[in-house]
Amino acid sequence: MAIKFEQVNFLYPSFDNDHFSALTDINLDISEKGEFITLIGETGSGKSTLVQHMNALLRPTTGNVTIYGIKIEKNSNKDKKIKLNPLRQKVGLVFQFPEYQLFEETVLKDIIFGPKNFGVKEEEAIARAKEVIQHVGLSEEYLERSPFNLSGGEKKRVSIAGILAMEPDILVLDEPTSGLDPKGRDALLELFTNIHKELNKTVIIITHDMNIVYKYASRVLVMHQSRLVFDGTPNQLFMKENIAKWNLDLPDIIEITNQLEQKLKLKFDTLPHNVDQLFELMKGVL
Amino acid sequence: MKNIIIGQYIPGTSFLYKMDPRSKIIALGILMVTAFIFKDISHILYMLAGVLIILKIGGIPIVRIARGLKPIMILLLFTFTFQVLFIKTGAVMLDTALTLTTYNLGIMIIIILLWYFLRKYIKSKLLFMVVIILVILTMLSMYTPGTIISSSNLTIYEDGLLGASFIMVRLVIIVTLSTILTLTTKPTDLNLGLEKILKPLNLVKINAEEIALIISIALRYIPTLLDEANKIMLAQASRGVDFSEGKLKDKVMQIISLLVPMFIISFKRSDDLANAMEARSFIPGKERTRIHVLSWQRNDTAVIVFCLVVLVSTIVLGFVA
Repeated sequence: MAIKFEQVNFLYPSFDNDHFSALTDINLDISEKGEFITLIGETGSGKSTLVQHMNALLRPTTGNVTIYGIKIEKNSNKDKKIKLNPLRQKVGLVFQFPEYQLFEETVLKDIIFGPKNFGVKEEEAIARAKEVIQHVGLSEEYLERSPFNLSGGEKKRVSIAGILAMEPDILVLDEPTSGLDPKGRDALLELFTNIHKELNKTVIIITHDMNIVYKYASRVLVMHQSRLVFDGTPNQLFMKENIAKWNLDLPDIIEITNQLEQKLKLKFDTLPHNVDQLFELMKGVL
Repeated sequence: MKNIIIGQYIPGTSFLYKMDPRSKIIALGILMVTAFIFKDISHILYMLAGVLIILKIGGIPIVRIARGLKPIMILLLFTFTFQVLFIKTGAVMLDTALTLTTYNLGIMIIIILLWYFLRKYIKSKLLFMVVIILVILTMLSMYTPGTIISSSNLTIYEDGLLGASFIMVRLVIIVTLSTILTLTTKPTDLNLGLEKILKPLNLVKINAEEIALIISIALRYIPTLLDEANKIMLAQASRGVDFSEGKLKDKVMQIISLLVPMFIISFKRSDDLANAMEARSFIPGKERTRIHVLSWQRNDTAVIVFCLVVLVSTIVLGFVA
C-alpha cells in the first residue's frame, strides 16, 4: 500500500473550543499502481483536507497516515528523523487555484521550480518542462511567457505541468477541470488517463462532475460531512439508492437510461457507459 | 500564525458589545493617553488591574487575550532586556561580576546542549529559554572555580528595571485595550464609529469617510490574508519548498515563492472588492443611509465621563508628585 489512513481524525483549530471537525474516522487504502480514483462530495465535506493528508501537508489530530512506509502522526513534523519533503515528490498534489503557486517570471522557471527543489539538475528539469508543457495542451512557446499574463485555464494547466514535471508516483488533483472549457477539460482528462494507463500510476481527482466519475474512474470515494461514506466502483455507487442522501446527482447517461426505463417501461440488465452502449441496449430490448 | 487575533470580531453579549462604537473608540483613545501619562510604576499596575476588570466584566476570557499577546512577546522581551541593560541611573540594584572560567564554561555548554535537546518537549519554549539564560547568568556570578577566561561586570540599576517593566506593562495595556475594541466591535460598526469621530477633519479638507474605510478594510483583511498565506505555503510545500530549513539562499527563494503569490492575490482581492463596491453603487464620501444607526446611550456617556475622570486625576496626580 502506498498510502494508508488509519482512524484519522482532523480538527481545524478555532478560538472557541468547539473545534471544527474536517475529517472523522477515516480508514482508507490507496495502492501505488493502477488506480484511477475520483473523490466526490459536497463543498465543505472534507475532500481537500483529505488529499492534503496524502502528502503530509496536514497531519492527523488523532490516528495516523502511512505514506510509502513512513508513519505520519500529529507531531511528526517535530521529529527530525522523519523527512516529509521526499514524500511530496512521490505524491504530487495540484491545488485548486493556480494563483497560490505561480510566482516566477516565466512559465519555464515556474515549472522547473518543483523538480529543482527535489534535486533534479537544471538541464534535466528543462527537458521535462518542454515535455510536460505539451502534455497539458500548451505549445512550447508558452515557456517564455509570464505566468501572470495567461488566462485562467492556461494558468491551471501550467500549475498542473509544474507538478507533472516532478514526476510523482501518485498524482492528486484538487478540481483540475474547474474553470476549463469542455475541450480543455477533455484534453486534460485524456492526459490523466494516459498517465494512469501507460505509466500505470495512481491518479486521484477531486471533482463535482459525475460524468467524469462514471467515464474515467476505476474507484470512487464519497465524502459526506467529514466522513468517508462510500468506497467502491462507480457502478456500485450509481446503483445505490442513497445518492440523494449525499446530495450527489447521476451522470447524464444514467439519468437518460432511467428516464427511458420509466417513460417507455423498458427494463435494461446493465447500465450503459456511453451513447453507443445505450443504443445497443435499446436494440436488444426493442 | 493562528494566534493573531487583532482585527477579529468574536460575537458576544456583554456590555462592551452594547456600547456605541464611538464611545469605545474615544474611551480607548483616552485610556491610551492615560497609560502614557502615568509616571509611577504602582499607578500603571493599578491601571493593568483596571484593564483586567474590564475584561472580566466584558466577559472576554483572559486566556484569549494572552494568546493574542504571544506574538509580541519576543518584542516585549527585547525591549525589556535593552532597557534593563542600558538605563544607567538611579540606585544600583545588582552589581555582580560575571566570570567565565574553565569549569563553568563546561557546565554552560552542557546546559545549552540540555536546552537544545529538551526544548522539543517543553510547551512554553520562550519561558524555558528565559529560565535557562537566568540559570547561566546566576552560575556565572556565583560559581567560579578554575582558571579565569574572561570577566565582566553586570550592573542593573533601579531606573533600568523600573523603566523596563514600565514599558512592558504599558505595551501590554495598549495592545489589550485595542484588542478589546476589535474583539467586541463589528468591522462595519468600527468603520461607522471611526467615520463619525473623524468627521471634524472634513473642515480641513481631509476626507474622514475614506480614512475610516481604509482602516476598516485593512483590519478586515488581516485574517483573510493570513489564511491566504497559509494556503500558499501549503501549495509551495507540495512543490518541495521546505519552509523550516535551508541555507540563506534557499530561504530567500522560499520567501519569494510566498510573497509573489501573496501580492498577486492581494491585488486581485482588492480589485474584486472594488468591483463589488462599485456594483453596489458605492461612491466614497457620498451621503448614505444605514441599516444600523448608532445610538448614544446613557452608558456611553458614563463610560466616557469615567475615562475622563481617570485621565484628569492622572494629570493632577502627576503635577502633585
